[in-house]
Amino acid sequence: MRKMLLRHIAAGLVAALTVSIGLHAQDFKLGTRTVQVHGFASQGYAYSDENNFLTMDTSRGSPAFTEGALNLSMAVTDKFRFGGQGYSRKIGSLDDFRPSLDWAYGDYKVANWLGFRGGKVKTVMGLYNDTQDMTFLYPWALLPQGVYPVDLRTTYIAHTGGDAYGRVSLKELGKLEYTFYGGQRSYDDRDGTILFIQQLGYKLKTISGHTIGWDVKLHPMKDLTLGTSWANLAQHRLQLTPPTTLQNMDNDPNDIWSGYEDYTRGKLQISSEYRANELMNRVAPTTPGGTVTMSNKSTIEWFAAASYRITSKLQTGYYHSNWQMTVPHTPAIQASAHIHDEVVAARYDIDRFWDVKAEGHFMNGYGDSHQAQGFYVKFNPQGLKPTTNLLMLRATFKF
Amino acid sequence: MKHLRIIVAIAAVALCGSWQAQAGGVKVIANTSVPASTISAGEVKDVFLLDKDSLGGSHVEPVLAKGGPAHEAFLKEYLGKSDGALQAFYRSLVFTGKASMPKTLGTDAEVVAYVAKTKGAVGYVSGDASTPGVKTLDVK
Repeated sequence: MRKMLLRHIAAGLVAALTVSIGLHAQDFKLGTRTVQVHGFASQGYAYSDENNFLTMDTSRGSPAFTEGALNLSMAVTDKFRFGGQGYSRKIGSLDDFRPSLDWAYGDYKVANWLGFRGGKVKTVMGLYNDTQDMTFLYPWALLPQGVYPVDLRTTYIAHTGGDAYGRVSLKELGKLEYTFYGGQRSYDDRDGTILFIQQLGYKLKTISGHTIGWDVKLHPMKDLTLGTSWANLAQHRLQLTPPTTLQNMDNDPNDIWSGYEDYTRGKLQISSEYRANELMNRVAPTTPGGTVTMSNKSTIEWFAAASYRITSKLQTGYYHSNWQMTVPHTPAIQASAHIHDEVVAARYDIDRFWDVKAEGHFMNGYGDSHQAQGFYVKFNPQGLKPTTNLLMLRATFKF
Repeated sequence: MKHLRIIVAIAAVALCGSWQAQAGGVKVIANTSVPASTISAGEVKDVFLLDKDSLGGSHVEPVLAKGGPAHEAFLKEYLGKSDGALQAFYRSLVFTGKASMPKTLGTDAEVVAYVAKTKGAVGYVSGDASTPGVKTLDVK
C-alpha cells in the first residue's frame, strides 16, 4: 500500500517536474513558424467510507488517480493550423499509464462562420464533453459523474473523422456557435465499458462504433450560454458467452439528447445540463435461428451546479448529479437504479500554474450491474452498499 | 456667458470621452500593418476573445500582458473577465487544439517591442507608456 502510494505520488511529481522544466520553453521555432507546447499533470487521492469507486481501492484510501497530457500545435497560415495531444492516465484499473493519442487534426478556417477539422477530434457534446479531462478549468476535482463518467471517457470523448464548425452573429440575439461532426470511435481495453462487459462474464472479441451529431450554442448576452446537442453513438460488439455462444451485441439506437446552460454573474457561476440517453440493447447469436433478446438501457442524467469565487484564489461550489435508469435491470433493488451525488468543493489557485482542490461526495445508489457507472462488482467483492461518502483531493499543474 | 458654459461643457465631455478611450490608463496599440485607426470596444473584445481575427481586412492576433495594473484595467474595461477566467478560456481552446495561446509578455516595453515587429499584432499598455514603432488605436 505504501509502495503504491509512493509510486503514484512519484509519478505525479515526475510529470509535474518534467513539464515545469519545460515551462520556459513553451514554444520553439520550426523554420519561420512557432510551435507551441502545453501540458498538464494531475494527481489525486480518494477515500470512501463504503464502496470502492472508479476501480480504485478508495475504502482504504487510494492515490491511484494520475493523469497528464502534452500537446504541440502550429498555425501554418492565418487559416490553417494543426496539432496533436498525447494523454496518459492511471485511475485504479482504468488504463495503466499507457500513452494514447488524445487528438490530432488539421483545422482549416474558411471564415468565422465556417471551418473544417479532420483527424482525431474531441467530440463537442454538452457543456464539457470535449474538455472533461481539463478539470483545471473548473472548480471540481471530479465533474458530475452522472453526465461525465471518468470510467467511460474513451467511449464519448473523441471521434476519428471530421467536423464542420462556425460562429455566426445574430445581431441583437447574440452569437450562435455550431458544430456538426461524424466519425468512428475508439475503445480502450481498460475503459469502463470493457470492464463491465468482462464483469458480466463475456469475452470480448471486437467492438466498434460511430459517432455522428451536432452541437449548437447560443450566447444571447454576456456570460450566458444556452446549448443543445444530439449524438448517435451506435455500438457493435462480437462477444463470447462462455463456453460456446458467440453473440452479436448492438446498442442501436443509442441517441443522446442534451440541453444545457452556463451563466456567470460577478463571482457567481451557475451551470446545468440534462441528458436523455436512449439506448436499446439487442443481443443475437451469430448462428441463424437463435433467440434475439432486446432490453432497454436508457438513462436520464443531469446535474445542477453553482460556484462562488470568494477571493481571486479561492472558489467554492456545490453540485447535485443524478443518474437514473428508466427501466432498471433489478427494480427490486432500489439502489441499483440510480446514483444521486451531492458534492461540495473548494478550489485554491496557488498561482497561474498550480491549483489544489478538496471535494466531498455524498452518493446514494450505485447504478446497475449491467451498466458501467463508477461502481463495479469486481472491485467490491463484499457486495455494494447503498450509500458512499467520498473525499477527493487533487493537485494539478498546467502550462 | 451661456455660450461659454456650453463650450466648457462640451470640452469636458470631449475630455472625458478621450479619457474613456484610454480606458482608465490603458491604451490599445497595433502593428503599423493593421489598417484600422479606430476600433470599437466590442471589436477589442472580439479580437482578444478570438471571435475576430481581422480588422479592416487585415489579419490580427492579440498580445497579452502577464499582469500588472494595465493588464487588470484592460481585463476589467474590455473583456469583463478576471485573469483566471481569461486563462481558463484560452486553455479550453489550446487543450482541444482549437487555438494557440496568445503571446504573453512581462512589461509594457516588451509588449511594445513585440507589437512593433509582429505583423497584425494588437496589444495594450499603460496609458502613459512610450510606444515607439506602433500605432495607438482610438477606441470608440
